[in-house]
Amino acid sequence: MPEGALEGLKVVELGQMVSAPYCAKLFADFGADVVKVEPPDGDVARQWGPFPNDEPHPEKGGLFFFLNTNKRGVTLDVSEPEGRDELIELLRDADMFIENNRPQQMRDWGLDYDSLAIVNPNLVMVSITPFGQTGPYSGWLAYDLNAYHLSAAGHRYCGRPGEAPLEHGTFSADFYGANAGAAWGLAAVYGRAVVGGGQQLDVSCAEVIASVFTGCQNIGGYAQDGVYETRTGVGMPLGAPATILPCKDGHVWMLALQPGQWNALAKVMGNPDWMLLEQFQDMFVRAQNADAMYPLIEQWTMEHTKAEIMERCQEEGCPTTAIMTVPEAAEQPHLQERGYVVDIEHPVLGSMRTLGAPFGLPESPGGPTSPPPLLGQHNDELLSRRGRS
Amino acid sequence: MAAPLPLKNVRVANFGWVWAGPVVGQTLGFLGAEVYKIESRSRIDINRTLPPFGEGVNDPDRSLQNHAGWAGNGSVTLNLKEPEGVELAKQIVAVSDVVIENFGPGAMEALKLGYDELRAVKEDIVMLSMPTAGLSGPLKNVRTYGMSLTSLTGIDSFTGYRDGPPVPVENAFSDPYNGIMGAFAVLVALTHRDRTGKGQHIDYSQQESIMQLAGPAFMDYVMNGRAATTMGNRHPTSAIAPHGVFRCQGDDRWISIVVANDEEWQGLCIAMGDPQWAQSSDYATSAGRVKHIDSLHEQLAAWVAGHDDHKLADLLQEHGVAGVPVSSIADLLADPHFKARGTYVEVTHPLGFKETIYGSYVKSNKFVAAVRPGPMIGQDNDHVFKDLLGLPEERYRDLIEREIIY
Repeated sequence: MPEGALEGLKVVELGQMVSAPYCAKLFADFGADVVKVEPPDGDVARQWGPFPNDEPHPEKGGLFFFLNTNKRGVTLDVSEPEGRDELIELLRDADMFIENNRPQQMRDWGLDYDSLAIVNPNLVMVSITPFGQTGPYSGWLAYDLNAYHLSAAGHRYCGRPGEAPLEHGTFSADFYGANAGAAWGLAAVYGRAVVGGGQQLDVSCAEVIASVFTGCQNIGGYAQDGVYETRTGVGMPLGAPATILPCKDGHVWMLALQPGQWNALAKVMGNPDWMLLEQFQDMFVRAQNADAMYPLIEQWTMEHTKAEIMERCQEEGCPTTAIMTVPEAAEQPHLQERGYVVDIEHPVLGSMRTLGAPFGLPESPGGPTSPPPLLGQHNDELLSRRGRS
Repeated sequence: MAAPLPLKNVRVANFGWVWAGPVVGQTLGFLGAEVYKIESRSRIDINRTLPPFGEGVNDPDRSLQNHAGWAGNGSVTLNLKEPEGVELAKQIVAVSDVVIENFGPGAMEALKLGYDELRAVKEDIVMLSMPTAGLSGPLKNVRTYGMSLTSLTGIDSFTGYRDGPPVPVENAFSDPYNGIMGAFAVLVALTHRDRTGKGQHIDYSQQESIMQLAGPAFMDYVMNGRAATTMGNRHPTSAIAPHGVFRCQGDDRWISIVVANDEEWQGLCIAMGDPQWAQSSDYATSAGRVKHIDSLHEQLAAWVAGHDDHKLADLLQEHGVAGVPVSSIADLLADPHFKARGTYVEVTHPLGFKETIYGSYVKSNKFVAAVRPGPMIGQDNDHVFKDLLGLPEERYRDLIEREIIY
């Protein structure tokens, strides 16, 4: 088996929950040597489930499993001098340090960048927090939900008017911050000779989304014209059909905007007469008449399954897709054939299935091959005696 | 003094279009890479045609959101329907480290710019292909829009109000995510190339990359056979409560509040003035608060209503509780935090108008990212064709005249 692309890269993670652990996992997926440092009672994600049969157990958490494969793990109380010294020893010859603690906490522990740069001037430190290292909210307590909603992503794009703005039902801001930390962090390692040593990269999960998503799409227009929009709950209010509709066994993402797509949908639906009416002849007038049109399409979708609708639409050139449930997404033959789901043996859980690498590198394949560490599993291997806890 | 940018020795030929591909180029460009988006006036990228426009003038060099999303990329124009255009594109690839594209599978081969053809001119090229569902497999030709890609991952099935239908996310949340992750993929492959001398063709499935966000729900299916349902703003593994968005005083004003442990719960109780209802043993533990989340959220909503979102956030933070205002688009530009961090920057476009784009979306304490206005179409033609490829002036003029460089 060819070695991983990042073989030889040494990463230390002082992270809990989602952002820093997922960032470090991206490196672990591609062969970096990642040591996860947990407090003596473990990463909080160990308590967050899901658990088999909903029975809490610190070694059986599904979220923790997903985020921490391919890592080795130690436990250290870094608030004690001995624990801090052990961490410093791990960082002395590390390439990267990935963490998501509150900035003041890191200063209190003496683990801020300036202190660490004295020990290892080549260290690339990636700090991923809800609001970043600077600015008035830097000291605030916050979690994924708080960071996500400061970006206006929900207020603008997710939810119905008059009702609460919505997160997407996952750790959207944490994943975005992890992703940005990985790209910028690896660039800083790649260009270390050019830059002249290590550095700290300051990632604010809220700021990443407020830049590349809501900022990108809205801020130029708002700054120039002073007008802005809010969520509609519809999908695409200016063109139609572009929304989620119910069908016989669930929902479909109904999209038929361009003339060819609309004609394809008409063919799949058996060319009903109403589709020839003038008020439905382009995506803009269809949007103006959406209240009349959506029920007509829905009558048809309710008679068909999402798989039928998707298959027939895609065949004819209409980009409508099934809203897959999580089991349907997990079991799709496409992903099985591509090897995207993998099974790993875990000492407590037994055989466990998880998701593979986020992208494929044919010359240096990645993805999870070993289970996440048990609490303190590698203390003997990686720590000198005094700091063990 | 600012350090040199880490990717200053990397050159990128970016065939990416619309949003995800250009954000790969942007990220590498912000980090110092020399990035040329290869596009053509013979088929203007749809992203250049989207309003609003600078000074309200409808023009492919004035789309404001295009400039924000593409900033960091340069631009050269080549008509790839012409064999000479393809030949010149190959010459650019021959002096590049990286090629990026986000067309459907087979599109680059049809242009005679497939991986094998490009490897013939640059053996260790790193090529990133990022179609919707990857380069192989029964679903490889599936067509989605950026905002519907998530339908293939399970995510859409749990985005929505509790007990209600899925609610569509009204823009392509996946696109810039995949753009940044695509840049990470390129850097992983470059690291590998520098160590082994080998390039490779990255098979980047946008579906697989974004499906990682469904990881928590996927694990619940694996462990318990459960199909996630619409989550509202609740905690993705239902581990903690309160965890929600609550209405404040004013028009469409909201605050997000999360309580992750008993200590934070005590802080919230004190902030609320220790009301009787909060003393209930139902709420004394995290498990209890999750079990009784409906009544808990109802009580909390009643207390929040009437408060100013920012003042309430200050009060909650003073008590060690994660309460943060929910922003609207208008709030972003005025927010003191984003102002202090320079999240948005005003730049002067080459056409003379001022526009606001986002700046370095990650901050380095060593270097200043190369943030420039979004590229004018063909702005780097002179430099690329004359300096980099060494075309004589006469031939360069001829190619422009015949609309090959176009």
